[in-house]
Amino acid sequence: MRLTLHAVPEVPLEAEAICPDMLMGLSADKAAELPVFHGNEKARLGDFFSVQGEARDGTVTVEGDLSKVKLIGNGMSTGRLRIEGDVGAHLGAEMRGGEIVVTGNAGDWVGREMSGGRITIRGDAGHMVGCAVRGVPVGMLGGEIIVHGNAGNEVGHGMRRGLIAIGGDSGDFTGVSMKAGTVVVMGRLGMRPGAGMVRGTLISTQPAELLPTFNYDTTYRPPIIRTILIYLRKLGFTVEDLYLNGPYQRWSGDSIELNKGEILLYAGTRQ
Amino acid sequence: MSEAKTIHNAVCTFCGCVCDDIELVVAPEGKSITRAGNACELGRAWFLEHRIEDYPVALVDGKEAGLEEAVDAAARILVEARFPAVYGLSDTTCEAQKEAVAIADFVNGNIDTTTSVCHGPSGMAFQGTGESTASLGEIKNRADFILYWGGNPVEAHPRHFERYSAKAKAAYLPGGRADRTIAMVDVRKTRSASEADIFLQVRPGSDFEVLWALRALVRGKYVDDSIEARTGISLETLQDLVERMKNCQFGVIFFGMGLSMTRGRHFNVSALLALATDLNAFTHFVANPVRGHGNVTGADNVVSWQTGYPFGVNFNRGYPRFNPGEFTTVDVLARGDADALLVIASDPAANFPRRAIEHLKTIPVITLDPKPTRTSQLARVAFTVAAYGINVPGTVYRMDNVALPLRPAFDSPYPCDEEILRAIKERVCELKGIGRREVA
Repeated sequence: MRLTLHAVPEVPLEAEAICPDMLMGLSADKAAELPVFHGNEKARLGDFFSVQGEARDGTVTVEGDLSKVKLIGNGMSTGRLRIEGDVGAHLGAEMRGGEIVVTGNAGDWVGREMSGGRITIRGDAGHMVGCAVRGVPVGMLGGEIIVHGNAGNEVGHGMRRGLIAIGGDSGDFTGVSMKAGTVVVMGRLGMRPGAGMVRGTLISTQPAELLPTFNYDTTYRPPIIRTILIYLRKLGFTVEDLYLNGPYQRWSGDSIELNKGEILLYAGTRQ
Repeated sequence: MSEAKTIHNAVCTFCGCVCDDIELVVAPEGKSITRAGNACELGRAWFLEHRIEDYPVALVDGKEAGLEEAVDAAARILVEARFPAVYGLSDTTCEAQKEAVAIADFVNGNIDTTTSVCHGPSGMAFQGTGESTASLGEIKNRADFILYWGGNPVEAHPRHFERYSAKAKAAYLPGGRADRTIAMVDVRKTRSASEADIFLQVRPGSDFEVLWALRALVRGKYVDDSIEARTGISLETLQDLVERMKNCQFGVIFFGMGLSMTRGRHFNVSALLALATDLNAFTHFVANPVRGHGNVTGADNVVSWQTGYPFGVNFNRGYPRFNPGEFTTVDVLARGDADALLVIASDPAANFPRRAIEHLKTIPVITLDPKPTRTSQLARVAFTVAAYGINVPGTVYRMDNVALPLRPAFDSPYPCDEEILRAIKERVCELKGIGRREVA
């Protein structure tokens, strides 16, 4: 099935309907009748998108500037969603399975509270990648979020399981209050990475300024980094060989919490 | 009216201190105040400079209009909008705030207060971390250790020291200032800092690191000695501060926008609230925000009471949703989401970021303000209203969530916010066909 944006929404469009779970098995006409919210007004999917074909195998392609379209792939559990262009906030929120690929940039709250599946963003992502809504202490529960560009603040806030990989730089408070899980940042970490982390692993190939509650343990060559980075290479990341084999400093923290989290920073030569 | 009238124990709504001991003398003609006893210099200016000026009660498209016509125009803008936003509310009564929430609910819009641009991060931190708190009366009577973080009370809240904290003589602290230890943390030496016993000048943007190190020291955890190079404060100084905090009888931390509006925002405030909570393992410790506008605390209370959330609430789907960053007015305008804006007692066109103002100029705006503002000059519909506290009675909340009734000095020829908002609400209901019985 192919959805093409024909009318740009004037105010945010909340379109949970754009999700393989909802579209699978529907004819194009039926799909166009699905409800969406244009601001406070109930509308039809067909008012904004022209729908072609069917999603028999659960594959849906959406094209156009979707930067004002929120909640695409909300609660998705199966199928493939390909977005050609930019996309708005809450992409793949509470996602449980399947795969979302975005060729452009994504808004804030990518993969909010997701528990399975994979989201790939070829461009940049906004703030709060893989975190929870305010007031909820636990964020991402599983699955993978792969951002090829940069990401904003609070990547993996309160994360409990899963993998988040950022190809570029991440913003402030990366991995804040992490319970467990893995965050890999190929570029620079912003200020105060891992603040209040309980367990979990933060990996960066660039130097970082850590909080005074993190203490240095050792410099070693953990084989898990090689495994993770080779996996990311297969997903299309550019990973130089020196990061695969080089030494990493291990810092443990946050001492205010359990002190069982770790930040691994590349400590070898560069080029 | 030939004799001067005196109002005893009037309430000043200029700042969040909401001093309720002001002695006002109203001029014989009943249109201005000639004396504001007990008020600070900011409060005196607020009362003495207030005049009834000759503005039209309402302007529609820049032309003078009757009240009914303007109410109808405002209601139509809100009903026709797909993403109407309501903003401001910190300088009006709780009664008016309640009507504004009702309007946002009936038009399925967005409601946000000036909290989102001052202590909004504190609101998020209260939700995430929790708050150990006390009223200013309890602090005045018991606090023997007072720490101010990122605020300048001497210049911003001139009577905070004498009425509620550092200099107040009270039942259990008869010596006043002599019985208390005052500490101050700031990035520069303000006039308040020079009155403190202990002053910690932290590097700009390192509040979180200092708070985090203090938390670790309180809990007896590891702190790296690189802290001095990062923050400008040595580990020994922090250790000393921690000992004093742990050994006081009743400690309080007052925090200002120097903490909530610098890099780290809600995490900074979360760290401070968590520090106060940690200290309760040793002694009694509380933390209170120092709020700016007269009734900004009331706005938080009313919006929380009516919607469940303090600010940044959206009713687009018919039920309230809270998400700072998504539904806060600066973001809603800067992203170009809102297509109509109702502003009550605030001037976003003067103090919002440029991108938000650019969008504000392209959408219909409705304003309610006692004086013309930048925003009212851009507005499609602009109402002139009576000033709360001076002309209008009602309820306001002091910065410690204590409700106080207002004692207005003299009448204004203009209607109050509450009257206009209620009229807009009723017109909105008529236009949307919502029955009277359903109107609360």
